[in-house]
Amino acid sequence: MSEKKDIRILAYESSCDETSTAVIRNGREIESLIVATQIKSHQRFGGVVPEVASRHHIEVVSQITKEALNEANCGWKDIDAIAVTYGPGLVGALLIGVSAAKAASMATGIPLIGVDHIMGHIMAAQLKDEIEYPALALQVSGGHTEIVLLKDPVHFEIIGDTRDDAAGEAYDKIGRVLGVNYPAGKTIDAWAHEGKDTFNFPRAMMEDDDYDFSFSGLKSAFINTCHHADQIHEKLNKYDLAASFQAAVIDVLANKTIRAIKQYKPKTFIMGGGVAANHGLRDRMSAEIAKLPKADQPKVILPDIKLCGDNAAMIGAAAYNLYNDNQFADLTLNADPSLELPYAKSMLN
Amino acid sequence: MKILSVSTATNHLSVALNEDQQVIVEKNERDERNHSEHLDPLIEEILKENKLTLNDIDRFAVAIGPGSYTGLRIGITTVKMFASILNKEVVGISTLQALAKGVKEPALVITGLDARNDNYFAAGYISGDIPKNVIPDGHYKIDVLIKAIQEYAAQNKVDKIVFVGSGLEKQDEKIKALNIPYEYGTDEQNVIHAGLIGQLAIDAQPVDPDKLLPRYLRRTQAEVDWHKKTGKPFEPDSHYVEEV
Ligand SMILES: [Zn+2]
Repeated sequence: MSEKKDIRILAYESSCDETSTAVIRNGREIESLIVATQIKSHQRFGGVVPEVASRHHIEVVSQITKEALNEANCGWKDIDAIAVTYGPGLVGALLIGVSAAKAASMATGIPLIGVDHIMGHIMAAQLKDEIEYPALALQVSGGHTEIVLLKDPVHFEIIGDTRDDAAGEAYDKIGRVLGVNYPAGKTIDAWAHEGKDTFNFPRAMMEDDDYDFSFSGLKSAFINTCHHADQIHEKLNKYDLAASFQAAVIDVLANKTIRAIKQYKPKTFIMGGGVAANHGLRDRMSAEIAKLPKADQPKVILPDIKLCGDNAAMIGAAAYNLYNDNQFADLTLNADPSLELPYAKSMLN
Repeated sequence: MKILSVSTATNHLSVALNEDQQVIVEKNERDERNHSEHLDPLIEEILKENKLTLNDIDRFAVAIGPGSYTGLRIGITTVKMFASILNKEVVGISTLQALAKGVKEPALVITGLDARNDNYFAAGYISGDIPKNVIPDGHYKIDVLIKAIQEYAAQNKVDKIVFVGSGLEKQDEKIKALNIPYEYGTDEQNVIHAGLIGQLAIDAQPVDPDKLLPRYLRRTQAEVDWHKKTGKPFEPDSHYVEEV
């Protein structure tokens, strides 16, 4: 009986507009995943309203705790740790998950683990395949656009990030101009496949030798183009607009990421975050990596589409690594809405 | 019956352990900003000092609202999880009734929490062991609240009014104009005491922990604006959340 005991983690995620619980075995296997989404609610307002989000989270949190345990066919005695996203995100929303997880930990005596939401997004890859380190991740979502170096399962460093809008944010903003309902990413991606890059929008900072991004110039160019056409009563092809916008975003992301791969020579390349569900970006990154000399090609892990958005499974995966590294939280754990992964030393001026 | 009660409804954090009607211990932290950081350690401290665990508690009680939205959710999420996991009873107590219970002498107690711009989360109670509600818990503009007090006083004998809570002194001119003897609550009366919540919890009806939700008494501005703009009716909140 020398076989290692299974480690089961019950995880919570409530940083934005999804309330989610999951039971994850050994950081790799999803035994249950419950996601209660509020999209229908926030669509009324054209974007996430924080107070409304918090009100929805508290409505379901105890119920989906039971559901996650039931669906995994386990009880509290089978759980080795309780994990929760404590930042970054909307503070009121985060506090529901944090309060629930702490209360659960107190009531059961099961240890608590606080998880960085971005680390969680990146670790969605671990639910798909084994990550070999060092690894490099392109993390793209509504709030973040970052290139992250993973030295090992718990030491992550940002080597580049956005100076203004995140890529996902830019998608939502141009979506509004095109009259696409929030969240816009999926529709823009689909339209992009129907159109051509005819507008040649700017690729900001693409040739700079750092790994930072900027998407506000692209967003402005897009909006100006649409406004100008409006003024002269010209109708633009929405598919071409979407294709041109997406091509500019993907060009910059791919270009910088490939350069980072060449410099850091990771064993694994990972994509994470909501925009990692974008087919254009997935295809392009795979194609660019395939062009590298065989010896320089990292293993590519693209998480399942349904695990790119916010979910507790990814939090459970990341928490498993923290568990193995003995990184536990105590009952003073608080929400940290502006939590950030550390920046690589060389990036500090 | 051992009752653990909590209030995170205002910036004053209060936790108490009661044995039936008796308050065994109540701990308070004033002007606290981080209820999330302090609530659980305070609960643990009380349990430890009394050589108890959460499992020894028979009933959990919490200030259900009105109050600070974020604050309410911290306390309510915490006790709803305790009750749900440990299979214990849970009750929600009106924040305003708990405030009214701090007044012992016979009086009409107007309890109010400052909601800015002359708005109050307020109510009227007749003082007593279980304060009786006579002006419903609600979100009132001060003039509407004053009018409700006038109407009540016109039909009932009111010898004295005690104003308890926060920001009510600002309205002294309007209160004076009521022409009824009045006074303001003491510092002790103006904050919410978990011990009093625990006492009110004995006669309260336990609820399903999953259904224990804050009584905000106010829709969000975003919803009000949406409703005005579209004319669409509000659906129950649960209609907007889907498991996928
Ligand atoms: Zn996210």
